[in-house]
Amino acid sequence: MSLTRSQIVRSLSARSPWLYRINAGSCNGCDVELATTACIPRYDVERLGCQYCGSPKHADIVLITGPMTVRVKDKVLRLYEEIPDPKVTVAVGICPISGGVFRESYAVCGAMDQFLPIDVNVPGCPPRPQAILEGVAKAIAVWKERL
Amino acid sequence: MNFLKILARNLALGPSTDPFPFGETFTPKGLRGRVEFDAENCTACRYCEQVCIGGAIRFSKTPEGMRFLLWHNTCTFCGLCEFYCPTHAIHLTEDWHLAHGNEDKYAMVENGLLPTIVCTQCGAEAIAIAPNPTAFKEPATEGQKEQYRHLCARCRRKFLQGAL
Repeated sequence: MSLTRSQIVRSLSARSPWLYRINAGSCNGCDVELATTACIPRYDVERLGCQYCGSPKHADIVLITGPMTVRVKDKVLRLYEEIPDPKVTVAVGICPISGGVFRESYAVCGAMDQFLPIDVNVPGCPPRPQAILEGVAKAIAVWKERL
Repeated sequence: MNFLKILARNLALGPSTDPFPFGETFTPKGLRGRVEFDAENCTACRYCEQVCIGGAIRFSKTPEGMRFLLWHNTCTFCGLCEFYCPTHAIHLTEDWHLAHGNEDKYAMVENGLLPTIVCTQCGAEAIAIAPNPTAFKEPATEGQKEQYRHLCARCRRKFLQGAL
């Protein structure tokens, strides 16, 4: 029984989705928690096979923080389109989910899922690192289905 | 030889990585997570709605009574509602497992209904007062409390003045 090249790639990439982080006007609270989950050995998101990458072209799972502010809206949408399909989007913190405390502000466009397809929500202000890990684990489950 | 000491210590204590999500994790005492609402104790003073930073709490008048609604997806878990609640009807639990798929976005709510009662004295519609002892100073006996609970706001004042 021989596996085709795409099947091999698929089975391997299911084990190692790469993370990419978009800050859509976040206060940096959630970004600090994302850095904590990635950089501190205590929480170590790399045990799930994930790794943060610097280019949207390498990304599989997108973590979005912050409410969609008017100023970054076009940039976020452009960045999002650069990420190859299939991709899984995770909204980290209450801001991208609903607008959070910035909801109904003149500078905020609204909930993120009006502009981008969101798959997993992790509420919190900010969510604790374990909650982010839980969200990433949920996103990996979605990612495996999409491949 | 310092590295040998560190090596021995690491072998003895094991890895410092939290086993979550493959194993159990710790939850610090007093962590503010999912909100629990106890309609039994609520008097609909709406203080929580007033102090809610994220605008997560909403009270609305319906024919059945006053409805309480809290949406976790815009709650900052600041705990002000619990701090200001005079009857301890609202409580932040230590449950932080809130990650969910986007299809459940609007299902992350805490609901409550404060039913309307008819005042036994004048027949006006009112909201039943909570049976929580912290709300009472005046009527002392159980019978008086029960009578007090089935009055409207105006009749309660009269009751406290001893006019009823």
